[in-house]
Amino acid sequence: MTTDSEANTMDDASRAPGATDVGTSAATGSVDGNGARPSDGETLVRVQDLVKHFPIRGGLLGVSKLGAVRAVDGVSFDVRRGETLGLVGESGCGKTTLGKVILRLIPATSGEVYIKDRAMFKQSGNQMKAIREDMQVVFQDPYASLNPRMTVGEIVGEGPLVHGLSNRKKREALVRELLGRVGLNQSHIHRYPHEFSGGQRQRIGIARALALNPEFVVCDEPVSALDVSIQSQVLNLLDDLQKELGLTYLFIAHNLAVVEHISDRVGVMYLGKIVELADVDTLYRDPRHPYTVALLSAVPETDPRRRRKRLVLRGDVPSPVNPPSGCRFHTRCWLREQLGNPENCVTEEPPLRVLAPGQQAACHWAEKISPEAIQSAADRQPTVATAEPAPAA
Amino acid sequence: MDRIEPASLAGVDTSARDALRSDTDEIDLIPVRTFWQLARQRFMQHRLAVIALFVLAILLVMATVIPLATGIQYRLSDLRLINDGPSLTAPLGYDEVGTNIFIRLAKGTQSSLIIGGAAVLIIVGIGTFVGAISGYAGGWIDNVLMRMVDVVLSLPVLFIILMIVSFFGVGDIRVVIIAIGITGWTLAARLIRAEFLTLREADFVQAARALGAGHRRIILRHILPSAMAPLVVAAALGVADSVVTEAALSFLGYGISPPDASLGNMLNKVRIYFFSAPERILYPSVVLVLIVLCASFLGDGIRDALDPRQRIASK
Repeated sequence: MTTDSEANTMDDASRAPGATDVGTSAATGSVDGNGARPSDGETLVRVQDLVKHFPIRGGLLGVSKLGAVRAVDGVSFDVRRGETLGLVGESGCGKTTLGKVILRLIPATSGEVYIKDRAMFKQSGNQMKAIREDMQVVFQDPYASLNPRMTVGEIVGEGPLVHGLSNRKKREALVRELLGRVGLNQSHIHRYPHEFSGGQRQRIGIARALALNPEFVVCDEPVSALDVSIQSQVLNLLDDLQKELGLTYLFIAHNLAVVEHISDRVGVMYLGKIVELADVDTLYRDPRHPYTVALLSAVPETDPRRRRKRLVLRGDVPSPVNPPSGCRFHTRCWLREQLGNPENCVTEEPPLRVLAPGQQAACHWAEKISPEAIQSAADRQPTVATAEPAPAA
Repeated sequence: MDRIEPASLAGVDTSARDALRSDTDEIDLIPVRTFWQLARQRFMQHRLAVIALFVLAILLVMATVIPLATGIQYRLSDLRLINDGPSLTAPLGYDEVGTNIFIRLAKGTQSSLIIGGAAVLIIVGIGTFVGAISGYAGGWIDNVLMRMVDVVLSLPVLFIILMIVSFFGVGDIRVVIIAIGITGWTLAARLIRAEFLTLREADFVQAARALGAGHRRIILRHILPSAMAPLVVAAALGVADSVVTEAALSFLGYGISPPDASLGNMLNKVRIYFFSAPERILYPSVVLVLIVLCASFLGDGIRDALDPRQRIASK
């Protein structure tokens, strides 16, 4: 029953261009402005009811199933051509797993991903290989993501080689062009990854992803492992590449500032579910899920004169092996507390529903969120000595 | 999108590509070197390994040149020279049947090295094959193969080898090699499997899969080269193990039997001189220990040399 209504809401939201999409294109239009990006919001990748459970095995031969880690538990969304969809959430909420399942690097438990209307999980080996040209990945750790025994040229040129560009000279020319494009010195083509700095390695990773000329790139925390100064360089590079090549990004991160900077739309994940999905401006200005509110309140304030109370969530993230009933967030929800613990939070799973043009949230009581409600929830918290120094810039 | 810097990134130089050009300079100071040049440099840093290589090279030369030069002398006995002392042509003297001990020792070293080298090829071959499939495939395939390893491991190895040898021909060097090989691959398989299990999930392997690389390419080009460390360790241990096993076999009379020479049967023959001429026990023993130690040190050195992350000390 719940799942049905949820699926319907999702489908309505993604199919009907009316209410949702008008808002979106207006928002993207105002942000990018230069028309490099098609603003019609055509769907490039569609994720439908994606589920990934990691079985916990035990018993005599390790074959009996004791339970499952529900890393991704029924996620649906669309990625539109040319946009950057940010995906945020705490550690362990399943965002990296989601990225890998979308790329079919790990098999999904159920659900489907469509890229350019091709159902990915139904493709055979050879068809899948062709699809891989359309989607690539940039990993978080620039030290682990490059094969230490291959030269930069071999790493970047591997994709084209696998896909049939066997002419060595042509491949090398292509690699040199790519290195130039990502801001690396072309003469470094014969060097090994360990000779480079973190930022340079991440550029190599980006060049490798671009070598197949993909349309869709999953960036799995591409700047989290880098220094702050290098982060902005890499972010700007990604941004430039998107403009030049018309790329579409799924940008997974936990740094809210980075996501705000790079994304057109943002999805917030909690315990394997998307709890809010909205245009970046709307989400940051007017969050409609109590979890998003709490996340945003954790962003450090840049202005030291503006003292404000943070909304601190109590307790830890519940175990994804045994998620709470109803709304998964109800165990830590400040709004539920404020409303006097309504029953449907525990009994009924809230579907992702459209609340405003370009904004969806999965909360029964989303309408009750207001600046006053947030303020009073923050006020009622025991005073925590929130150190409020200006963040290191 | 404008180049709006998010709060935490404020005040940072934004001209990404230009900024990078300036910090590439450091890397240009280091000359481009090939993988093997770097590997050699790293190996030379490993002093014990260099010594081991040197000693092993001497043993190898002796085991090749002396038997070649002296022909069948290692099996000839001269009754006039029984238990004769050391001389210029026989630095270690003559044994109880009047054979030149030095020549015999060289021939014995030769058989030991041949057996060690050939058996380790079988060990590493089977071990890598089973370990790679097991670790890469995972799931039930892994389960089945590893239980198979457990079974082989639970068998009394020496007993099995004795059975194989007595069944297929005592004293045949080929049978000895195969017997040692097919019983000794379990450790190698386990080491390789463990490495494959880890590397299968590594980001660079995932990246290769995302590029569309096939299983063969991923195994041979990405995982196996990075799994060199346990492979070399397994090989070094395999050489040491095979040489010792062969010695034990020959000592028991099931390996290489006289008049052919091996370190094991030389040890067997001299055990009755334990009190009267203990130095005769020393000769084959020392060679045996040297081979085992050198193989082990050499393995360490090669393992480190093949690891591109190992730093090369600047002079």
